[in-house]
Amino acid sequence: MNLAQQALRAPVSALELTNILLTTDDAVVGATPREVVWTHRSTTLYHYRSSDRSQAVPILLVFALINRPEIFDLRPGSSLVEYLLEEGFDLFLVDWGVPSEEDADTGLDEYVCDELHWAIRETLRASGAEEVTLMGWCIGATLCAMYCGLDRGSEQTPVRNLVLLTMPVDGRGSTYARWVGDPEFDVEMVAEQWRALPGQAIDFANKMLKPVTNFFTTYRRLAQGVFDGTVRKDAYQPMAKWVADNPPFPGRAWSQWIRWMYQDEALVAGRMRLRGRRVDLRRVDQNLLVITAGADHIAPRAGTMPIFDLVASDDVTHIDRPGGHIGLIAGSAARNQIWPEMAAWLAERSER
Amino acid sequence: MARAEDGAKAVSPEAQVRALYEKGETDTAKAFEDLVAKPSFGRVLALSTENIASLVRIGADFADLVLRNLRIAGRADMTRLGRQLHRTEDKLERVLQEVEQLRDELRHQQADGSDAGRSSGTGRGTSRRPEKSR
Repeated sequence: MNLAQQALRAPVSALELTNILLTTDDAVVGATPREVVWTHRSTTLYHYRSSDRSQAVPILLVFALINRPEIFDLRPGSSLVEYLLEEGFDLFLVDWGVPSEEDADTGLDEYVCDELHWAIRETLRASGAEEVTLMGWCIGATLCAMYCGLDRGSEQTPVRNLVLLTMPVDGRGSTYARWVGDPEFDVEMVAEQWRALPGQAIDFANKMLKPVTNFFTTYRRLAQGVFDGTVRKDAYQPMAKWVADNPPFPGRAWSQWIRWMYQDEALVAGRMRLRGRRVDLRRVDQNLLVITAGADHIAPRAGTMPIFDLVASDDVTHIDRPGGHIGLIAGSAARNQIWPEMAAWLAERSER
Repeated sequence: MARAEDGAKAVSPEAQVRALYEKGETDTAKAFEDLVAKPSFGRVLALSTENIASLVRIGADFADLVLRNLRIAGRADMTRLGRQLHRTEDKLERVLQEVEQLRDELRHQQADGSDAGRSSGTGRGTSRRPEKSR
């Protein structure tokens, strides 16, 4: 296309670009049919039924406390939920909902000891299974690891497999730690003042890790794709909509997260306590699959690696691939690259 | 050497400009990433966060005060009601769990009882592994 053609096409391209940006909110995400199994406060447990269930152990999907869990089911043809259902797994998803000020006193102890524990209980009841696979992503993965590492005395956890996707476990050395690790940063005061931290503030901080890429390059690439005629609206919009959907982070849970992950590294040191019970990752003895992304700037690989020195699992698999924090699992290449490996690993360990 | 020169000539000026621009953008992105990774930037961000949080709180409290003086329910009232609902829901959840547990136990007892009755009736003495309680 020569310069004159480009100039003639510019108004149409500008119109198309504006249309893509303005209609992003209309994109459909999380379209796979599901039913509500259980609710408590703002938490909801959903059940995705496989029409061809062949695996005995159901999977419980746990996402982070930032952003929404629809990333597991982004769009038809690019949905991990859809893929796992086709592979014969029965799926459950715990959705933390959209907390508000009245949830300000909800801490990580509530999420791990109550919500996640009860969600597992309801998953077992609804599926009729005796064991479950926990698949957590980002903070959701850390919550799953905390759950498995929680001191329960003689009580056994009904978790057979633990799948941890791009999980932060040791915040030391990360850019986040440089921002909030300073003891002078009054985490408690911020949590108390805000009660529930606005999702936009969390999103802004995440984007500030790569400011030019997130605030400029993404849109420049979109515009370039429109002008070149290579843009894929159906792929861009669901992801853009998901990225912009940021629920608030309950103040108490946020302050605990910052303190334990970035200020005193209580989780890796085994000093973390939930409701007086110690969380020690050396108690994690489930079949363990850990997936790290080489270009992950939110949960850098170096911050996940300490898990391998801590857990007691005999069956440990580590998959490391190039990619970003979200792109590795939800990107357009995931269906052919990482999902088949995950499904194969799970299938070997999900028999009755 | 001649082939390399041909290859260099084959790149259009437009592509060269684009490559140059992208290199500039990549370098700028890297420079900004280095900037935000500095402790001094973290300090600025932390102080800004504390200030914004305080300002938001002051603004919210002021708006709440105005509403409450107009005898309209403010945010604090809604939050208090929400918390009361949460407490009620927590209690209800625990009661439901107790009920479900009792129902499961009853079902197991009934199943064991009918098994025992059947085995004594037929005289076969079949045994059944007790179901794992959840």
